[in-house]
Amino acid sequence: MRGAAITRRNLLVGIGAAPLAVASAAAAAPRSDLELLEQLLRLERRLEATYEAAYDRSILGDELARSLRDQERAHVDGLEKTLSVRGRRPGPAPGADPRLAIALRERRTFARYALELEARAIRAYVDAEASVRDIRLMQPLGAILTTETQHEVALRAALGEPLLGV
Amino acid sequence: MYPQHSLGASSRACATSSSHSPREIRTVPKASVRSVAASLTRRVALGGAAVLLASCASDDPPPATGPRPGPGVGLLNSILVHEHAVVAAYGTMDELLRGESSRYARQIEEQERGHVRRLEELIRGLGGSSARSRTPDEYARSFPRLQTAGDALRFANDLEERLVRVYLQALPALPEAKLRRAAAAIASDEGAHLAVINVLRGRPAAPQPFVTGTL
Repeated sequence: MRGAAITRRNLLVGIGAAPLAVASAAAAAPRSDLELLEQLLRLERRLEATYEAAYDRSILGDELARSLRDQERAHVDGLEKTLSVRGRRPGPAPGADPRLAIALRERRTFARYALELEARAIRAYVDAEASVRDIRLMQPLGAILTTETQHEVALRAALGEPLLGV
Repeated sequence: MYPQHSLGASSRACATSSSHSPREIRTVPKASVRSVAASLTRRVALGGAAVLLASCASDDPPPATGPRPGPGVGLLNSILVHEHAVVAAYGTMDELLRGESSRYARQIEEQERGHVRRLEELIRGLGGSSARSRTPDEYARSFPRLQTAGDALRFANDLEERLVRVYLQALPALPEAKLRRAAAAIASDEGAHLAVINVLRGRPAAPQPFVTGTL
């Protein structure tokens, strides 16, 4: 009896969980290269906008802010071209992040905000290297990844913090 | 500036000379190994070339008999050979560097040791055996003569640039997602090391938008 009850409960739970399982499987489904590139492009555009704002407000030091902005812009250009040659038109730029306006009030807060964005981008590139299917993308994405880690060092240097973050 | 292809070929050359090489590594034509060696030999400035060429002359014992290791072992071993040499190189810079430079060099050396352990773990996981490190004396004989802190930092710069390229060029050849993720994570560390060396040399941490110079 007990065994039968458990079985029925399991079955009911199983039925209830089925749509969830399907949704979860869809969410966990490997993304296409185009989706990965689009995600990376969104992150790069956010970084570009962040350093552009820092340059406009002279919050980070003009030379550093301009250099970081220009490098993120080069990444954006590269990703947009990569998407274009694959027949995908890059989507619109993301809206302004409300947290950026707050971060821009003070140099240290801004650098911390930018470090967070860089860390997020680095994680996304490392993930992309594991899942991208077109092997021709692996080295170029790696070249951007390693540059983002250099940006972290540049930001830590600007903050006067340990350069390796440990 | 190093030729874009040289380290990939160099890595494969190292692996070819390693007795742990799998099939995919052994197919590198000897001519390309010679051309890489020639292009590296032409470099007379301080650099990692001597290290890398010396590292390639591995005298590791033949692999143990048993099941064939998984694909990727040879490539990981060729990277490991580079990492062993870099760890040894940082050891030799110790007496020339002072203060902040010395502190960061030690920190980087420790992280490189971590990379060695990670690579060994991956190789073991694939059923392979890891390339061994040479003795400090053997490495020292192959390193350039360093006389000043500036020499040491230029040497470190050269080594880190090469390591970044080694990892990036390995990515397309690594067969498993897990291996690529590990290589990418280590490459990102090497990018940071390069940036730290740049700062110690009084240069911008990130001088160009793509560490390897191209997209």
